[in-house]
Amino acid sequence: MGFDVARFQGPVDEELVCPICSGVLQDPVQAPACEHAFCKTCINEWISRQPTCPLDRTPITSAQLLPAPRILRNLLSRLRIKCDNFVHGCQQDVKLDTLMAHLEECEFNPKRPVPCEQGCSLIIPKDEMKNHNCVRELRNLVQSQHQKMTEIRRELNEQQFQLNEQKREINLLKDFMRAMRVSNPIMRDIADQMERDEIARWSITLPRARVTRWGGMISTPDESLQTLIKRTLSEYHCPTHVINELMENCHERKWPAGLNSLETRQNSRRQYENYVCKRVPGKQAVVVLHCDNRHMPEDMIAEPGLVMIFAHGIE
Amino acid sequence: MATNIAAQRIKREFKEVIKSEEVAQCSIKVELVNDSCVELKGEIAGPPDTPYEGGNFVLEIKIPETYPFNPPKVRFTTKIWHPNISSVTGAICLDILKDQWAAAMTLRTVLLSLQALLSAAEPDDPQDAVVAKQYKEHPEMFRQTAKHWTSAYAGGPCKMPELDEKIRRLTDMGVDEHNARVALSSYDWDLERATEQIFS
Repeated sequence: MGFDVARFQGPVDEELVCPICSGVLQDPVQAPACEHAFCKTCINEWISRQPTCPLDRTPITSAQLLPAPRILRNLLSRLRIKCDNFVHGCQQDVKLDTLMAHLEECEFNPKRPVPCEQGCSLIIPKDEMKNHNCVRELRNLVQSQHQKMTEIRRELNEQQFQLNEQKREINLLKDFMRAMRVSNPIMRDIADQMERDEIARWSITLPRARVTRWGGMISTPDESLQTLIKRTLSEYHCPTHVINELMENCHERKWPAGLNSLETRQNSRRQYENYVCKRVPGKQAVVVLHCDNRHMPEDMIAEPGLVMIFAHGIE
Repeated sequence: MATNIAAQRIKREFKEVIKSEEVAQCSIKVELVNDSCVELKGEIAGPPDTPYEGGNFVLEIKIPETYPFNPPKVRFTTKIWHPNISSVTGAICLDILKDQWAAAMTLRTVLLSLQALLSAAEPDDPQDAVVAKQYKEHPEMFRQTAKHWTSAYAGGPCKMPELDEKIRRLTDMGVDEHNARVALSSYDWDLERATEQIFS
């Protein structure tokens, strides 16, 4: 809807007035064929009822509307209009194209958001400041947040319930699969193959990593570090059937003979460079998968792979 | 928002009518009712060389909240004999007040269109079937009746003693004057049939 003509200094040319709302054109657009101009919102409202030009009934659709020509827009932007907050005391006459910018900072805007200085620091519209009561506002805030928390808790319980249901179902399926595997050798082969393929596919999705300082290897990572790495592996879609085994193999007590003590590691050092390492994304850690490292000697690799955590030196 | 547009438009259109040359010639007029922009009173002069010449016809104009996206609701409050206007309710059958409304039309153009409707009736798209039938079958009778109604209700100048006499015959029998006029008009001023219809 356009601007009230009364807000402008002097008479406004008829050409700058929207024939629908009879205000000064706001966001003017024009019909493609007859070139009649209207406020964008006005003409769209009209077209939604009847797809014709309101002046001469030429058929038009919203999509066909064109921006008004530059000369019209320039003439409009030159008009001087009284600020919306005139009734609240703003004496400024601004150019139409700067009205929006002015309104944002107009001192007289009764709805201008200001911070409360009586202590609660809530941001509130200026005209509500007079009746503002910190305690009441804060109590409302606490109440609404309390309500939100109750809702979230309820939702959480519901989710937990569903999760447990699903866990039970998954366990049932796992048991079923285990039974199939044990009782049927063909099944067993198929399942093994599927698991191997899955690891290989996963491996491809991980970026190659280069270890620049093998000396930074942490051979005895603590629980929290292990949890962190496990979480990242899970987030990056590590196949579920190997994640636990892989994480077991992040500590020297589970490492193969060539790695399981400081002494043997000293001896194996020269072979480190032959490892194909995959990055644990975002972490100073690598996965050394068995399927990527068949070229390594037996005492340097384990099924399904190793996890090596470093203090630094991963690229 | 729609309400704002309606008020803004009506204020401006009201001024437009007041400043227009038609008002200067006393051919159309508009007034606010209760100082609101929701209801107005319009007035149009009967066009020259028609049975309505010399009459002033008052209109009730109601502005819907969705104006100007929907047309104003207009009806004659002055009784009038015209094929496209109900002689009972004053309801108007005119396309621009219905599906041919366009948002750029104004009170002024509506009043002028109504004036044009008085000059050129559309008997094939009637609002009042009785009037339309008379218009087509007995054009002279229609002219007389319309002139008579103009004189009776719209302050028209032409007195028609012959018709007044027929009405007086019925009112003497205790019939309300307007009812008598309606019955006579509907039966082409046949006193016998009109009487029969009233007392049946």
